[in-house]
Amino acid sequence: MLSLEVITPEKTLVKEEVDIVEAKGAYGEFGILPGHTQFLTTLEIGEIRYTKEGVTSHLSVGGGFAEVVEDKVVLLLDVAEFAVDIDVERARKAMERAESVLKTLSAEDNEYRIHEMALLRAIARISVASKNLG
Amino acid sequence: MATLRDIKRKISSINSTQTITRTMKMVSAAKLRRAQEELEKIKDYAVKMEELTGRVVKNMPEDAHPLLVAREEVKKVLIVSVGSDRGLCGAFNTNIGLHAQNFTLQNHDKYERIGVYVFGRKVRDYLQRRKVDIVKSWIDVKKIDQELVSEVADELIGLYLNGEFDKIYLSYTHFRSAVKQEVVFEEFVPIKTSDEVEYIDYLCEPDRIKIVESLIPRYIGTKIYYALVESQTSEHAARMSSMENATTNCGDMVKYLTLVYNKRRQESITNEMMDIVGGAEALRGT
Repeated sequence: MLSLEVITPEKTLVKEEVDIVEAKGAYGEFGILPGHTQFLTTLEIGEIRYTKEGVTSHLSVGGGFAEVVEDKVVLLLDVAEFAVDIDVERARKAMERAESVLKTLSAEDNEYRIHEMALLRAIARISVASKNLG
Repeated sequence: MATLRDIKRKISSINSTQTITRTMKMVSAAKLRRAQEELEKIKDYAVKMEELTGRVVKNMPEDAHPLLVAREEVKKVLIVSVGSDRGLCGAFNTNIGLHAQNFTLQNHDKYERIGVYVFGRKVRDYLQRRKVDIVKSWIDVKKIDQELVSEVADELIGLYLNGEFDKIYLSYTHFRSAVKQEVVFEEFVPIKTSDEVEYIDYLCEPDRIKIVESLIPRYIGTKIYYALVESQTSEHAARMSSMENATTNCGDMVKYLTLVYNKRRQESITNEMMDIVGGAEALRGT
């Protein structure tokens, strides 16, 4: 068993024993099982999954850090939401807004990256939310 | 000597003061509860962030990040003092001011410049009166949020990196419990690694230096945010207990004055009666 902690500045979202944790790191997706080596990575905007007794939970994340030491997984995230809590309508609006702003900016603008991140976050939230339904 | 009427007036004035202090106490209690909730929310994150940063920067080559390098010659020091805008909270602001002032007095011949970066009107006024070099002051901060924090973090990092200051201390009031708050005065930048932390040889993605680069700004931001929220919580707690004391003191005062008032009243009645009896005696004699 792994002890998983998912912590954001807002609150501690998860603190329990799980079987497997999957997330998207700097070099792509990775999975953590018991006995994993000491591991440290930055997390990309995207999805985190963890499975406990056959039940998989999905979370959308907006970047952060993951640390694995002796079967303890600590995820420090800027923002995170459970799939069930995601407001798809709001995410879709945020996506549209980001898309329209991006069209008016060129890649050199300072703000470009901010809106690009917002777009990625919105897409991640929508895709995580849809998994919950399916 | 105070007349009966003077005493009565005093009693009623103290009574209305007591009403005010009691109300202020209740307001602070409500605010404290809210602030405590906010503190609880961020606490886990802040604590874990501090631990993680401690482990990650351990045994890092010093040149990995400019905020990790301790400068050989420390000439200019900055103190970040976090206090509040409003008073009536006991020694809350005085304690913060005292720490900054004492540090300045003790070390003024050691360093070329000691500046203070202040939060809160009361602390600013306190330090201004004592001619302390104030670099910047934040007054009337309505809400502690990410925007404010990143502005402060950027500014502090900037002051350090462009050589304006060689070392930054952070001073705020730690909220231990509703009845106990303590002033913290600690080294902030450059980030120091504690000897108690054990070195862990992580498998890192991308590499350790990249992780440190993105971790450190977040660490600084979190630390500031946490200090501000702690200070705010402590402020409400301090105000609550000082208003509680004030209310009790008002009660004691009213009790004492009522006693004096009754004694004085009885005395004057006795005197009057003696006058009448004396008068009647005198009349009968004729």
